[in-house]
Amino acid sequence: MLGILSEKLQNILGKIKNKGKITEKDIDQSLREIKLALLEADVNYKVVKEFISKIKQKASQAELSKALTPGQQMIKITHGVLTEILGDSQSKVGISTEKPTIILLVGLQGSGKTTTAAKLAFQLKGQGHNPVLVAGDKIRPAAIEQLQIMGKKADVDVYSRGVNEKTINTINTAIQFANDNKKDIIIIDTAGRLHIDKNLIQEIKDIKEKIIVHETLLVLDSLMGQDALQVANTFNKEIGLNGYILTKLDGDARGGVTLSIKSVTALPIKFIGTGEKLNDLETFYPDRMSSRILGMGDTVGLIEKIEASYDRNELKKMSKKEFREQFNLDDFHEQLKRVQNMGSVEKIFNMLPTQNIGFLKNMNKNIDGSEKEIDKVEAMICSMTKKEKFQPEIINGSRRRRIARGSGTSVSDVNRLLKQFFKMKKILKHGFNKESLASFIR
Amino acid sequence: MLFTDAVKDKTSFLEKIEELLILSDIGPKTTGEILDKFQEMDLHYFRANNFDNFKNHLKEILISMIPTQNTAIELDSNFLNIIMIVGVNGTGKTSFAGKLAYYFKNKGEKLLLVPADTYRAGAINQLNLLANNAGVEILKTSEGADPASVVFDGLQSAIAKKKNLLIVDTAGRLHTYNNLMKELEKIKRVINKVSPNASLKTILVIDATTGQNGLAQAVNFKESLDICNIALTKLDGTAKGGIVFTIQKELHIPVAFITFGENINDLSEYKPDKFIEALLD
Repeated sequence: MLGILSEKLQNILGKIKNKGKITEKDIDQSLREIKLALLEADVNYKVVKEFISKIKQKASQAELSKALTPGQQMIKITHGVLTEILGDSQSKVGISTEKPTIILLVGLQGSGKTTTAAKLAFQLKGQGHNPVLVAGDKIRPAAIEQLQIMGKKADVDVYSRGVNEKTINTINTAIQFANDNKKDIIIIDTAGRLHIDKNLIQEIKDIKEKIIVHETLLVLDSLMGQDALQVANTFNKEIGLNGYILTKLDGDARGGVTLSIKSVTALPIKFIGTGEKLNDLETFYPDRMSSRILGMGDTVGLIEKIEASYDRNELKKMSKKEFREQFNLDDFHEQLKRVQNMGSVEKIFNMLPTQNIGFLKNMNKNIDGSEKEIDKVEAMICSMTKKEKFQPEIINGSRRRRIARGSGTSVSDVNRLLKQFFKMKKILKHGFNKESLASFIR
Repeated sequence: MLFTDAVKDKTSFLEKIEELLILSDIGPKTTGEILDKFQEMDLHYFRANNFDNFKNHLKEILISMIPTQNTAIELDSNFLNIIMIVGVNGTGKTSFAGKLAYYFKNKGEKLLLVPADTYRAGAINQLNLLANNAGVEILKTSEGADPASVVFDGLQSAIAKKKNLLIVDTAGRLHTYNNLMKELEKIKRVINKVSPNASLKTILVIDATTGQNGLAQAVNFKESLDICNIALTKLDGTAKGGIVFTIQKELHIPVAFITFGENINDLSEYKPDKFIEALLD
């Protein structure tokens, strides 16, 4: 998602890398390019200026390392400053000791508050909490209905008093409802509002004066440009924030917004929204974000996703030696279905390190093609006899022709499938764990 | 702010221009091109001119870089007109659809709203409420229906009822999801098949807070569909919508409408000079 910024930095620093020696002119030139890349990534103008001067200072102080090339050294410095600004620890929703914990979601129109509210409730429910969603948006037509539908999907109660009740009254009775029904978390969805809308900002101020809000989170669209800084700053000054939730990070926006808002308020980015499904709410890891910015890809995130799509027992089973040695095409088919369950192929591609996936990017352009590729593989495996699936070694030329005919593919398709299968089997022989997966991805 | 001081020094003048343009979301590349036009000027130029001259000159330069033709949507009086509204999530498509329906209703057009956003929870009902508010007719449909078949029904209904305008609201989608872009292409194919003579215009909705990603949005939507115009929404905030300047310049897609509030009549026809003026304000 931050791939293009990463690419740019790599291009710039690659130029230095080849020279073997770093001069002041090199620094200035690469800083100019970094500045452009950051602006292109929607990092706020003022933040870019600060960022650049920090890097310049560090770069000029840095002693030339013997172990690193100048390019690597610049990456290291840039990475360090990036991580410093983005923060160095992950954050969670602060659960209050007194029940219920009250979470208030605020933001501009269209930032994704309602969707985020449902996702957050779904996640907290999965962690053993008993949340209730409160419909506090009575301005946008059908907003309450949207929350009700999403609440139903998340299997979380939605509390609403309709569009004619004052929001503060709805919240007060919702607290009563929560106490009566043993709900430990209240998530309040509010109407979208501009940071400069005095009346609507006052509404939030009034709410916060009358009840104790434990977490006020600003839901912010990662597609935003320069204005994000002002929006975050004004919301924080006016109503006081505890953190951010950044949405729509499944697109190709470069997400420079993260840098802008972190440097202006230093509040944590608690979650990121990465899709339209209920479980597309992920923890924000500052270090991963820096790595992404610098083109190292989010391999950790990908591995976690792989792990999440298997349950513990299956992983155990797969790590057993006999499974690995007896791995057959039926198992391969099973794995393939898993990959599909992990989410769209594009989403997975977006997590991969950019420098290694030139060939994947072409595929990404033609994503329908790769989804079809998986269908093809399924067809081929289904055209095999039981014996062939369990002993793929016996699949000779005439069997390959038959499989190709049966599945409507070509012999070269079958060849490719078998090659992939044997490659995977070889990997499995060496064990199935995080490290081997990581090395496979890298 | 910029033009209140008489700026004499070239470097600081250019720096201030850079800041102004970047903060409007025009983007670094376009900003660079604009600055280049000033770089050519000799120092005398900067000494001899006061801030009003600068402002006027900058405005002239900006206007010369974008299309000023075809900024109005002209309906075809002989055939059925279809306006399809597309864009990424949360830009304000549904609100815009309601405002646009109200705008055309006031022009005396016989129109039908088609809620083809069958994906987002509550979107259909939202458009129903807006249609009610605008006093226009809306096609009945249900959540989860195939958008192309909803549009098909809309076309049949429009033809039967002798409507001359169909306004189709679609689900928000990030341009990076190919399958969702294909869905739009399918809707377009259905329209071409059912009403080959109809005049189809696709409007891309871009939100004024959008950053540089707006260009990628426009490029990708244009690749899948012929984008005829842009609607720039949410101009009531502090964001200027500068990326739309760059989209117009790079892709030659003119803006047709701007919106600036939550009332059904918070919509205006786009005027290039006013847009530029607001950009530099």
